Amino acid sequence: MTTTATPQRARRRRSRLRMRNTLLGWSFILPNFLGFATLTLVPVIVLFYMSLTNWNIFGTSQFVGLDNFVRLVNDGSFRTSFVNTLYYSVLHIPLTIIVSLGLALLLNNKLRGVAFFRTAAFFPYITSIVAIALVWNLLFSPEYGPINEMLRFVGISNPPGWLTSANWSMPAVVIISTWRDMGYYMVLFLAALQTVPRELHEAARMDGANVFERFWNVTIPCLRPTMFFVTVMLTINSFKIFDLILVLTNGGPGQSTMVISQFIYRKGFEENNFGYASAASVVLFLLCIVVTIVQFLWNQRKSAR
Amino acid sequence: MKRIITVTAGLTIGALALAGCSGGGSEGDGVAEDGSMTLTLSAWSVATTPEFQLLADAFHEKNPNITVEVKDYDPAEYNTLLTTDLAAGKGPDIITQKEVKFLTTFQEGGQLLDVSDVELPEGIGGADSYKVDGTAYATPYRQDSWVLFYNKDLFEQAGVDAPDGSWTWEDYDAAAEELAANLDGAKGTYQHSWQSTLQGFANAQNDADLLAGEYDYMKPFYERILALQGDGAQESFNTVTANQLTYQGEFGKQKAAMMPMGTWFVATLISQQASGDADDFEWGIAPIPQLDASTTGTENTPVTFGDPTGFGINANISDDKAQAAKDFLAFAASEEAATALAEIGITPALLTDPVIDAYFGAEGAPQDELSTFAVQTHETRPENPASNKTAAVQNILNDMNSAILSESMSVDDAIAEAEGRVATEVG
Repeated sequence: MTTTATPQRARRRRSRLRMRNTLLGWSFILPNFLGFATLTLVPVIVLFYMSLTNWNIFGTSQFVGLDNFVRLVNDGSFRTSFVNTLYYSVLHIPLTIIVSLGLALLLNNKLRGVAFFRTAAFFPYITSIVAIALVWNLLFSPEYGPINEMLRFVGISNPPGWLTSANWSMPAVVIISTWRDMGYYMVLFLAALQTVPRELHEAARMDGANVFERFWNVTIPCLRPTMFFVTVMLTINSFKIFDLILVLTNGGPGQSTMVISQFIYRKGFEENNFGYASAASVVLFLLCIVVTIVQFLWNQRKSAR
Repeated sequence: MKRIITVTAGLTIGALALAGCSGGGSEGDGVAEDGSMTLTLSAWSVATTPEFQLLADAFHEKNPNITVEVKDYDPAEYNTLLTTDLAAGKGPDIITQKEVKFLTTFQEGGQLLDVSDVELPEGIGGADSYKVDGTAYATPYRQDSWVLFYNKDLFEQAGVDAPDGSWTWEDYDAAAEELAANLDGAKGTYQHSWQSTLQGFANAQNDADLLAGEYDYMKPFYERILALQGDGAQESFNTVTANQLTYQGEFGKQKAAMMPMGTWFVATLISQQASGDADDFEWGIAPIPQLDASTTGTENTPVTFGDPTGFGINANISDDKAQAAKDFLAFAASEEAATALAEIGITPALLTDPVIDAYFGAEGAPQDELSTFAVQTHETRPENPASNKTAAVQNILNDMNSAILSESMSVDDAIAEAEGRVATEVG
């Protein structure tokens, strides 16, 4: 009698303990989850429904099926903003990786005042976007800006119009956003560089590998997890670029810097066409998801090797 | 176990209580048993925009049982915040219409009461801007229209004849070129980078339908500005945007001798000259140059543009309060309110002689006849037609404006592109 009761009691105690731990775990994440559910999850689910409706915010929405998506395909402005978003991303992602990794490599050395330079490189990331826009607009000013003054000084008689020229506005935005983001990604790379085993470098040096070979065959493979994280974050952030462009150029001149996020803002908040803006948001969401999945698969394949 | 459940339940209730703080519930109708009531009115930058409190106080003085409570909104996000409040059923009783182009959003969303029965004084400007299919959804109390500000000292210094009310745009161009040539360091004129600074005149003086989707009539206006920019008679669009020039600084610091601008600048300039933010110089106001001689001269009525600012009434207001709100609208449009507004430098929608006397009674205001004529006499056509397509069309025309003035596109190509976009994207 007692021999059968004891394991049952022990099982019950174990299951109670598991239940207790589960509830405890849930209660810890509950405040955060409630915030996430109210402010993110529910709005995102509603967004998918809204993308199938015609709604100007007041009253009831009218279900229109896939009409908004058909309209997006035929909308020249959406196509322009889509291409501009890709244009921005294709320039911004590699440039930011190269610059921030270069800075990290440079500031990973034991230099005098390295802490100061690391802080200085991080500063743009925490600077107000409005201040960045104001100062860079002045720097890039076509007639009186110091950048064009310098270009004229070195003999370029017809320097670019930068933010005021349809051809140069996007490269100028990329330069500014790279300058702003480089500090943040530099910190990530710096942290990763500290974890690269010194012995590997020493072994490679013993084998006669030069600096470039050591960088390519030792440092880069060790940085792969960080590189993957940085690439994914940069890609998503590039697709979502909005605030900087809004204050720098407001999408202009013409539509030369209009990106998908700004298209969404215009349709939603300026033209009160929330159903149509939601459809464009869904496209942006899918674009981010698809590219991120591709990056994950690619990373998995590389890791398997 | 009990403790865990208690903690979990406590957290849930706490979170739900927090979430509950922001929503639900409805405001009472706000009418007390003795008939006294409070009306809420949406406004922006109340600390620096005294007109709302002035009207609220003056109305309360005449109707002691009605208090108008001014609800302050962020000016940059006024329409978005107001829209959110209205959609949540928490909107104000009296809805100030900051921009006419948003009227139809509120009206089509069933947020505005029909106010066609509010009696307005004869000659008030801007009332038609609030009519949709003949029904009024708001009434104006203020209407700024665009005039030409000019610096009398710089004209004298350059030896150029000051505007006399007879100018067409050709005369304006010639004066700008001559001023720039004769002045040391100052431009002939300053046209700010807003699309309305150019397109507003082109639309009004051609009596064009903005929504028709054809914009060839804007071509001469753009060609003129490009020529002025090219000749250095006016600051280039690229410098204005890149250096974030302000129109107050350009005219107030005498960097330009002329400036087309709305009449709201009168009060700003007076106060900036008094505070020392603007230089001390003599200035005047002239009618805006005209397309041709048929509307020039003080015996004719010059054509300009401008949008009114007005008040609408929340469609969900209780019946008891609706009449009081309509009384407020009628009061805000009256000569009494217009005079009080004029005294603090606001351009009212009603510009009778006593109102104009009050307007120019402020210390530092110009005293010449042409200035009085320019502010009082004009046919002001709306900048934004009341339509749900206006915002989309204006966005496209804004892109066209920056493409042309930054010289990124030729005038013809940019106009053709805008026409194509209006046809395919707005319908």
